[in-house]
Amino acid sequence: MLKTLIRRELLNNLMTFRFAAVLLITLLLVVANTAVLIQDYEQRLESYNAAVKKHDAEIRKAKTYSTMFLYLDRPPNPLSIFNVGLDKRLGNAVSVWNGHVPMLWNTYMHGTNNPFIAFSSSIDIVFIFKIVLSLMGLIFAYDAIAGERERGTLRLVLAQPIRRGQILLAKYISAMTCLLVPLILSLLLALLLLIRSIPLSSADFLRIGGIVFASFAYLSLFYLIGLLISVATRRTGTALMLTMFIWGFLILIYPNLIRAAVNPGGDIQARIKTAENQIQQILDEYKRERQKFLENEGIAGETSEFSKALELYSEVYVNPETLYSYIENVSLISDIRPEFEHFVPVAKEYFEFVEPLIIRAADKSWGIQKQAFDDIFVQQAKIDGMLLKLSPVGIYDAATQAWVGTDLRGLRDFFQAGRRYRKVVIDHLYAKGAFGSRQWFSADKGTVDWSTLPQFTFERNDMETNAKRALPDLFLLLIYNLVLFMAIVLIFTKSEV
Amino acid sequence: MWHITKREIYDNLNSLRFALTTILLLALMLTNAVVHIREHPAQTQAYHDATAEAVKKLEARSNNLYRLATEGPGYLYKAHSPLRFCAEGDEAFLATYARGENYFRDIANVRPLWRLTYPQETPNIYNIRPNFTTLDWAFIVGYVLSFVAILFTFDSISGEQERGTLRLILANPIPRHIILVGKFLGTFISINIPLTLAVLMNLLLISSSDAVQLNAEAWRRLGILFVIIILYTCLFIALGLLVSAAVRESGVSLVVLLLIWVSFVVFMPNTLASIGSRTSVPMAYIEFWSEGIRLGDEVREGYQDKYGDSQSTPPVHVIAEYLTVDAGENERFTEKYLNQQITQGKRARAITRISPAAIVQHLFESFAGTGLERHLQFIENAKRYAREYRDFVIDTDRADPMSLHAIGVPEGMSQKPVSTEAIPKFKDTLSLNRDFNAAVMDLFLLVLFLVVLLVGAFLAFVRVDV
Repeated sequence: MLKTLIRRELLNNLMTFRFAAVLLITLLLVVANTAVLIQDYEQRLESYNAAVKKHDAEIRKAKTYSTMFLYLDRPPNPLSIFNVGLDKRLGNAVSVWNGHVPMLWNTYMHGTNNPFIAFSSSIDIVFIFKIVLSLMGLIFAYDAIAGERERGTLRLVLAQPIRRGQILLAKYISAMTCLLVPLILSLLLALLLLIRSIPLSSADFLRIGGIVFASFAYLSLFYLIGLLISVATRRTGTALMLTMFIWGFLILIYPNLIRAAVNPGGDIQARIKTAENQIQQILDEYKRERQKFLENEGIAGETSEFSKALELYSEVYVNPETLYSYIENVSLISDIRPEFEHFVPVAKEYFEFVEPLIIRAADKSWGIQKQAFDDIFVQQAKIDGMLLKLSPVGIYDAATQAWVGTDLRGLRDFFQAGRRYRKVVIDHLYAKGAFGSRQWFSADKGTVDWSTLPQFTFERNDMETNAKRALPDLFLLLIYNLVLFMAIVLIFTKSEV
Repeated sequence: MWHITKREIYDNLNSLRFALTTILLLALMLTNAVVHIREHPAQTQAYHDATAEAVKKLEARSNNLYRLATEGPGYLYKAHSPLRFCAEGDEAFLATYARGENYFRDIANVRPLWRLTYPQETPNIYNIRPNFTTLDWAFIVGYVLSFVAILFTFDSISGEQERGTLRLILANPIPRHIILVGKFLGTFISINIPLTLAVLMNLLLISSSDAVQLNAEAWRRLGILFVIIILYTCLFIALGLLVSAAVRESGVSLVVLLLIWVSFVVFMPNTLASIGSRTSVPMAYIEFWSEGIRLGDEVREGYQDKYGDSQSTPPVHVIAEYLTVDAGENERFTEKYLNQQITQGKRARAITRISPAAIVQHLFESFAGTGLERHLQFIENAKRYAREYRDFVIDTDRADPMSLHAIGVPEGMSQKPVSTEAIPKFKDTLSLNRDFNAAVMDLFLLVLFLVVLLVGAFLAFVRVDV
């Protein structure tokens, strides 16, 4: 009996105009936007490659250790085509050195970054699904029960010896089968376009599988919302209006209403000020220890012979905007004049003492900077995220972002890798005895050989991590589904025909 | 005709959609007003503080013409629009200031002259919050109102056809176009009741608050915006009537309308903008940066070649000439990069004009004094001011017979103090005329769309078989 019902529903759904129209528009939108997105990705990749090349050439130009500056570039995520998340918005290049710990706050953009085209939000595949799938689900559902009730066919069906739950199940299964056609077809077309120009790994295909699953749960949720309204109302006209307004509220208004309702809390300037003071203290301590060393050696004072010999300048300051601390203690000279030659042993000792000090100071100020960043930006984003999870759109977005790795956690992985790399480089410098070497400040006895410097590589997370991050949201989607379905069954069994 | 209109209005007033629309629009407009009242004072205050600070810094240099000539006018701030609640535009992404400073290191023991530069960093770069659209008028009208208009019209003809009442109406000796006009007016009035109510509540709240002052020009702009809203509503009503007349079932009519709405309002503006931005890509920032440095080096080398090595100090006039050329070249190059960016922005916008929602967004930005057009106006103002400031320095220097008229060389310039009042101050102004000229094209397109759709609706309705 269930089979007959499903077959009947399936035929009813498939042979309609709305099915054809929805299929056509989904395919059209997905294909057109995928083509645009692929071009966009390729452009970003090109700019990434150019930046890597440039930064690589720059490091080779440095003659002494102290004049080297390392830049790390973040490659664009190929799966950002599905959900761009923060991949395009946040900075994609950051510098790293013993006095600079890479962090989200200190980034800049290596590519074209035109504020005049920022008005158009980039449309990714999940965005299309967010809007089209939800509309589809509701359009298929609003008259599922109310329509039959109006036409009187519901009575006929109920007269048969079937349980009411089964009728709902049949409707659900057949509608979802229909709705999956545009979803799967458009994704297949997008994939076809994608693999022609972007190489994807097998893990990427599993991630895309995760997106399909999330999309399915999202679609089903909207179908159930429509079905709930259809069960609860007597007339299709009412059901239609309710579903449409609920759609408008959930998709258009609710996510934007959150920003209006939630004000960035607390006094940001005051928070920045405290952190700035804390960092200043660290820097002062560094300066004190440095001074102590210079006094012990009897070479203190910025105007002393020693400073002049090395053209040494030391600047210590905090950038209030990003709380970035600069400890510049660079000597740029490449030749030491003969009359200053006797300073060289002291200079070696000086740098051997001061550089580890700088490393420690940078590490400490990073801790404060990170705390401030969490308090000011991350906290706010978390509150927004939580409020968004009250609406299916927010959960779907979060789940797919976690799958493709363009959420905050995914981006933070990059900076974590950057910090690990900094440690590796520092260890490498220690191992080579670079801090206490002549090549730290002078290139007259041969320039630095950069070929042994460890290279920075950034691999995106493995699939399991993505899955683990996406799981809570997927679970939430499924729970919403289940609760709604139970509510529908309950209402339907109690309703009169 | 009035009979039909009246009937239509009564029908609508009693319906669920009317109630839901009223609640929705009122809630949105009130939220908009509350948010604006909450955020506007702080933003205006920040602008005033920054401007006052900049003027103070400028006045601190005023006793010394040399410092005025080299350090420049400082930061120039973009005035804050009081109508930001109408259209936020891309204000969040655009810079709020231009710099008239010299920040380069000393060249040959002389400080370089100031030049006008534009900040390149994106203010949004730390923004890790989820993507939002501001609930401004442009959004409420562009998205929500058009959506509502579709829900009001999708069954206005096809529904009557289904119920059979269309036959009854047509049986009366009334010409069909009168019926269509009646229906149009009826729907128009029923949508405009909640809309006008919501807009009035919004304005009432905003104008009664002490935090926001709206002057006569702001009200004129608001008036124009209201006309645009009405045109846009008419456009979607006409579209709804067209589809409703062309299709027999209201279910099908709704699906068609929703798909049109989704494509034209939600997707087209963004997709087309990213296609359009591909047609003119500015140079990469890294390239701009290194090219700027190369250009500076080139100018310096040119002068070194001409005027001997750095051991002997060249005459003051030579240094002054070099400094002027250096600053001029750099400023031209910066402007070239800015123009490349602007061209890309304009291209991206131009192609989106196929979508009425994008047109309305542009119109709202133009008249609310936000967005690209506003920014261009600010840049123009800044450039004009930069010229004025340079002329002021040169003229003041010329007025002193003791001076050697070597701008940028401390000993070659007038040593007389300058009065603080005489220094030109930057004032960012907005002109309604200019905004109107910039928006004429969009207005024309909007009217054109409306006319085409109205004619279409008329033709479709005349050919309806009952």
